[in-house]
Amino acid sequence: MLELRNVSRHFGGVKAVDGLDLNVRQGEILGLIGPNGSGKSTTVNLISGLYQPTAGQIVFQGEDISALPTHLRAQRGIARTFQNIRLFSQLSVWQNLWAARVERGSGWAGFKARWLAGADQGREQAEQILEFSGLQGKRDVLAGNLAFGEQRRLELARAAVSGAPLLLLDEPAAGMNAEEIEDLDQRIRALRDQGRTVVLIEHHMELVMGVCDRVAVLNFGRKIAEGRPEEVQNDEQVRAAYLGSDDNDELMNAALAA
Amino acid sequence: MDFYIGLLQVIGVHSLLGLSAWCVLHTGQVSLAQGGFFAIGAYVAGMLTAMFGWPLGGALLVAALLSGVVAVAVGFPALRVKGLMLVVATTAFAEIVRLVFFNFKWQVQTAQGLVGPDGGLGFGGIRYFQSNAWSGVQVMLLIWTLVAGVMLLLWSLDRTRIGTLWRAVGEDEVAAQSAGISLTAAKVSAFGIGGAIAGLAGGLFSHNTTHIEHGNFTILLATFAIAYPILGGLKSLAGTLLAVVFIQGVLVEGLRFLGDWRSLLFGALILLVMLVRPGGLLGAPLRWPACLCRKNKTASCHAAMPAKGVSHA
Repeated sequence: MLELRNVSRHFGGVKAVDGLDLNVRQGEILGLIGPNGSGKSTTVNLISGLYQPTAGQIVFQGEDISALPTHLRAQRGIARTFQNIRLFSQLSVWQNLWAARVERGSGWAGFKARWLAGADQGREQAEQILEFSGLQGKRDVLAGNLAFGEQRRLELARAAVSGAPLLLLDEPAAGMNAEEIEDLDQRIRALRDQGRTVVLIEHHMELVMGVCDRVAVLNFGRKIAEGRPEEVQNDEQVRAAYLGSDDNDELMNAALAA
Repeated sequence: MDFYIGLLQVIGVHSLLGLSAWCVLHTGQVSLAQGGFFAIGAYVAGMLTAMFGWPLGGALLVAALLSGVVAVAVGFPALRVKGLMLVVATTAFAEIVRLVFFNFKWQVQTAQGLVGPDGGLGFGGIRYFQSNAWSGVQVMLLIWTLVAGVMLLLWSLDRTRIGTLWRAVGEDEVAAQSAGISLTAAKVSAFGIGGAIAGLAGGLFSHNTTHIEHGNFTILLATFAIAYPILGGLKSLAGTLLAVVFIQGVLVEGLRFLGDWRSLLFGALILLVMLVRPGGLLGAPLRWPACLCRKNKTASCHAAMPAKGVSHA
């Protein structure tokens, strides 16, 4: 579904992503892990279009999207969340979802759907997502006034509402407690069951190892391992990469628990 | 009585100007180009009626459309710059427009003699209202009918998708793009609609004053334009209207007896309003400055703490 072919992104002399090959398969949950600064977020930004690759190709559903601007990639069906929540905080919960709906159609009908439709039109999909997010009771609350966990849920819902087949989740569990992470786990599975493909960038190893079908490990902008969670956990290179980093204990614990 | 009718005319024209800036500000762009669009509308509408005998309606329509087209043309390059650089770029545009009209001479012979823009001497004889025996009250009613029409239009826009998309772009461009919103479409459409409204305001202004010159369209006018929605708050259109009444009615006219001291108090009052109501007159709930808050921790202080819940992570 999504293929990164030898993709690099250099910032001056820093090779944030360096010759990365990555294949995301239809309907899977792919975990993208690695120590801090290993290029995970850069990869997400490359896929969603906020960065242009220095070299290489990004192919989505058979189309080379390397040069497409961000909003067109989103309209093609790549939705994302952000490491630091980025909601439209002065818009209501409902408006956040409504603004992110991707309307299609050509001619006058398409123009009307995209620009002129009132909040009543075509709200079915958004209504379902609102229910999925569990925020029905807060539909008119300003997003900025929601509690932290609710904001995370709304951001996930906003990514899902477009109907995008590919969701990029950039550290969705950051700052969450165990209960909220369990809830997130269920939601990610539910999204996959709807037929979505999920790329999960995460530091929380328990979540990654539990929910992902496959895991790819980055270090210094390169992919050092890829495979099923238990394979990756026992990989020598992966252990070496995490050794001495804060994430090491978590990885070890997760490995022991598994 | 004439004084108050005149004041209402001025407030109406400035309301339109403020509403034009409101559109652009919604997409997070601080534009000082609104004075330029206003000037284009003023000259174009004036020329059409005074030089070529057009009816007022047609002249205003063409003035608004042309200003809108110019605004779209300005909106595209403006996409490349943000924040302060956008302020500088749009200021430069407004100055270019002003200097073009400073040098613009084109007069034609009419029944009233030679009429048309005369460079630095300005453009007089825009006497459509006088020739057609409109009373001051009628002019005032025309202006306010148009204000009401524009407000209704913007009110509806704000309730359709376009208004939501404008606000989304104004809130967070990165998130908006990632949600599939075209920044170009949102920002340029706001520029275009705002420009057309400014052009309409300019056309009313030139017919109301009968004489315009480049000096009417300085940076001060653009500053007023942007001050109205900022002072009034972006949440509602009524805020912009209230700000115009406050600035034009209370500050500019009401403090006239203070002579030169007026400007000083003018600035101080705006500062005070922004301090007590940082979200604008009709924006967030009343909030006392932190220094007062510490002394008496009242319930209203707590309730009014800004609820910015975005940057936890």
